[in-house]
Amino acid sequence: MWKRTARGRELHFYLAGINNQNFLMRDRETGSWWQQITGRAIAGELAGSTLELMPSDELTFALWKSESPQGHSLVLSPVGGHEKDYDNKWEEEVAKYPVPLTFPGQGLKDRDVILGVRMGGQARAFPLAKVRGQTPVEDRVAGVPLVIVTGPDGESVRIFRSQWNGLDIEIYREASNGEQNQDWRLLDSQANTWNFAGCATSGPATGQCLQKINFVKDYWFDWKNYNPGTTVYSH
Amino acid sequence: MPTQSENRWTSLLMGLVAFVSLSLFLIPAFIIRPFRHQSETALDLTFAVKRVAPALTLLALACVLALAWRLWRGASRILRTGIVTAVALSVTSAVMVRQNYFEWMFRPIAAAGFASPNDSHLGDKEMVMAVQIGREARAYPIVQMAYHHILNDTVAEEPIAVTY
Repeated sequence: MWKRTARGRELHFYLAGINNQNFLMRDRETGSWWQQITGRAIAGELAGSTLELMPSDELTFALWKSESPQGHSLVLSPVGGHEKDYDNKWEEEVAKYPVPLTFPGQGLKDRDVILGVRMGGQARAFPLAKVRGQTPVEDRVAGVPLVIVTGPDGESVRIFRSQWNGLDIEIYREASNGEQNQDWRLLDSQANTWNFAGCATSGPATGQCLQKINFVKDYWFDWKNYNPGTTVYSH
Repeated sequence: MPTQSENRWTSLLMGLVAFVSLSLFLIPAFIIRPFRHQSETALDLTFAVKRVAPALTLLALACVLALAWRLWRGASRILRTGIVTAVALSVTSAVMVRQNYFEWMFRPIAAAGFASPNDSHLGDKEMVMAVQIGREARAYPIVQMAYHHILNDTVAEEPIAVTY
């Protein structure tokens, strides 16, 4: 998700092509060409500009509803006449397509889904299958301590900076709790409990929230194409 | 009265112009076809061709029509078939370079409609892309965005592009 302004102009984008299975879009205002995954203009008047990332989440609808402010939440409705185009199996379909690029050698298959984090000039890919397997995952990218958490629905993933009050904290899932949203919580080494929004619900940090870290969910080959120097999480 | 050899050159020129016109449509279409690898050089060629194609295909069509006009009287049946083909190809190119066939496959959202969470028919387990700006929260079901790909939206006065 991007802020659609560049060089002080509001832009309106439309789908215009494909580049190695990542789509190209153009803006109606200048006709410049933009790469979807990088938010970067690669040709036209605005070439070299980069859109600012709009922090966003990928959540289950149920989890989103439970977190969103009442009376201020709206969900995009299906566009009339396109119900048959909305394919619930699209992920399985795409998985069958050939890949235009391949990057063997780092232990990942081309269509493995990864969570990509970019910080301080470094890039790291976290294989989704691995992140789901051992929640929460703790790691450091460019010296910044991170915790990758799978939410109470077992689907939604968030990444936080595991620092509070300037100190590194160790975060772990409360062992006894179930998969129910209301019981689900994280504990830390400072006697705080945290919810999936990254906000402390009890302990000395009550009312404060951890810093959310932006990441992209992408196929390995696509991430590696735009982040050739990426490392892969492999604990 | 043009001589036969003049006619031969004129028809050759007409064929060439029609061919160039068709290339202006087909080269980018071939390069950015789905599921294939696109090299940086090929992509740059696509952008360059697409920039000049609308004007050049019109120019080519004008040329082909002028040459066809010269050739038509006194042309054999075979040559007339060639003339009609050249004109048809030039018209096709001039039309196609003005079309965005990616939007034929994935129709854009002309006017986005929204529902409150309680009125939505979306299943609880469906994944959504979610954003919150100030107190305003929006959810964009991924099954819808995976088809439309782009939505230009404005949330709490912030213009955003939802892309998937």
